[in-house]
Amino acid sequence: MNTPQGLGPYAGAPAATATAPAPEWRRLDARTLLVHCGWMGAPLGSLGLTALATGGRISSGAWITLAAVAASFAVVTAIGLIRWARTDFRVTRETFDVRSGLLTRRLRSVPLHRIRTVDLTATPLHRLLGVTVLRAGTAGSGEGSGELSLEALTVAEADRLRTELLARAGTAEVTEDPVLARISWRWLRYAPLTFWVVGGVFVAAGSVYRALHEMGIEPWKLGFVQRAFTEFGTGMLWLTIPAALLAIIALGSVGAVVLYVENWWSYCLEWSDARTLQVRRGLLTTRSVTIERARLRGVLLREPLLLRAGGGATVRAVAGGLGDKEENRKRSVLLPPAPRREAVRVAGGTLRSPFPDAELTHGPGAAQLLPHPRVALRRRRVRGLVFAVLPGTVLLAGLGAAFTPVLLHAAWIYAALSTAAVLWLARDAYRNLGHGIAGRYLVTRSGTFSRDTLALRREAVAAWTLTTSPFTRRAGLVTLTAAVAAGEEGYRIPDLAEADAPGFAAAVTPGILDEFLAHPS
Amino acid sequence: MPEHAAAPLLRPPRHRVDPRARSWWRTQALLTLSGPMLLTALVMAVLSLLFFPGALPWLGPLLLVVLVLPAVGYLAVMPRWRYAVHAWELGDRAVYAAGGWFWQKRRIAPLSRVQTVDTVRGPIQRRYGLATVTVTTASTAGDIKIAGLSCADAEELSRRIGEVAQDVPGDAA
Repeated sequence: MNTPQGLGPYAGAPAATATAPAPEWRRLDARTLLVHCGWMGAPLGSLGLTALATGGRISSGAWITLAAVAASFAVVTAIGLIRWARTDFRVTRETFDVRSGLLTRRLRSVPLHRIRTVDLTATPLHRLLGVTVLRAGTAGSGEGSGELSLEALTVAEADRLRTELLARAGTAEVTEDPVLARISWRWLRYAPLTFWVVGGVFVAAGSVYRALHEMGIEPWKLGFVQRAFTEFGTGMLWLTIPAALLAIIALGSVGAVVLYVENWWSYCLEWSDARTLQVRRGLLTTRSVTIERARLRGVLLREPLLLRAGGGATVRAVAGGLGDKEENRKRSVLLPPAPRREAVRVAGGTLRSPFPDAELTHGPGAAQLLPHPRVALRRRRVRGLVFAVLPGTVLLAGLGAAFTPVLLHAAWIYAALSTAAVLWLARDAYRNLGHGIAGRYLVTRSGTFSRDTLALRREAVAAWTLTTSPFTRRAGLVTLTAAVAAGEEGYRIPDLAEADAPGFAAAVTPGILDEFLAHPS
Repeated sequence: MPEHAAAPLLRPPRHRVDPRARSWWRTQALLTLSGPMLLTALVMAVLSLLFFPGALPWLGPLLLVVLVLPAVGYLAVMPRWRYAVHAWELGDRAVYAAGGWFWQKRRIAPLSRVQTVDTVRGPIQRRYGLATVTVTTASTAGDIKIAGLSCADAEELSRRIGEVAQDVPGDAA
């Protein structure tokens, strides 16, 4: 295995450089140095606010902070200067070379054919300075392969470099309309349909509290906050609690809409040429992800519970070279929450063949998914009852028996409501289960909190895993996992019939399992 | 898809791991879980005997049920159960391995996707003359780990996978 970051030029490079003169080494943009100082904004700002709040008296703690900021500034600037001065890069005919390091000079040379994705990201500070960060993802998402990142280049330079990195022979122009989707602000109505609407408010409140706390302001000690709380407590609770809930939901919805706009401003998904798919988006922080078609292993249609109830869905790419799990989550998004029909269309456009949609019963994109055994429904019910209904009920009943009969009533109310919810969710989860083959794609669907329909290229499956526990063995079920060198790496098909799983895996990828199969006669 | 009347079943891999693996798993259990649990029970029993003899009537059974029995049970059951499950096979086109005990896992990876074969011998494994062979593919969810092979088997296996993987055409990506 050749590793891309080995010292010395890549084995193929000398032959190329012999015929053509090696291109010049290029530098990063000098404005990068200013970007490095951007982090100082937060501490200096909070220091200034503290000074304002305390009327100009700066405590000794603040002086220490200021000194620390100054010292860090010196160190960061020095490191930034060294990094800027000692980093350069070039694109030869076959490789992308980056040199860096002060004492230990390191040359990373990646063959161009191994570069799968190019990601340009610019934070508001970067954009203010007209620069952007370029990251080139290589094949193999394991540690060591990693990615090359250049911080930062001018926007024009970065665009040119991206074209160079992804340019290879035979980039034919696309004949059909290359643009798959653009933002439509009517989709904004889907923004509040995420679970983060309520959670986000608490996260925001938490960070505001922390910021105030760091400035030396204790919100609980402020007069108007205390008054508000006592009034809340003495007021009519049956009115104030729903009102507070409504306020939180309204606030969260506004936040969700703002986030949607920030993330998806001037969103555009298009085939920039026949072989590369490009997503551009962002208002303050702009992001542009380029995915090579050969690395695109499939498409995932996600329908989180609330979004599904509102008839919406999002689309993700299952592609290699998008970085680790965290980065993959950010970069693989192809479509924001949008109408389901639109999502199916975009998924099909990404695959360049109709998306196998299990909701359709006929037509070009219809996919027949096989249901899973009934016993899978029982498992989902039991799981919900044991893990959601039982602990809460026992806890409330125990506390009720010990302290107050009010909690006993709460216990049976909780038991009744949660049982109904669990049964509904279990039925939904069971009905969402399905698997099948649609032409070149393996299609699976599962999940209730997020119903995920996956269309995966059959030849992309790198390994099959069958997992069982004593419970599933008794029920005659097995969970099949398809390993892929892309996206989440492993895609589960939960609770198949034990008798069907090997046959299904063998049908998806002929030849791999056959020698281990026993045919009962 | 089950087109035939009787769907094909996945048979277990042909070769069992080395019988010494049972001792290795037993030692491992003793060092990581059973040993500390038994030791805790012993210390608590002794302390109670020395300082609070009155607590023994209820503490003794409690320790027995919470610490001693699970520790002994794990020690007695896990290695045998594992040995019954763990198996491996190198086919013409794929590697096949079974592992686990309570949760069991069978994994098949085509040789055309094999990237590296690692043989690891831990300090305890070395005492029993065992080794673990890990076959990696491009996907982290596709790595096959065969634990508890005899050293000779491990060497032979990794050599043969290396040979076969070269012959089978395919892309490792």
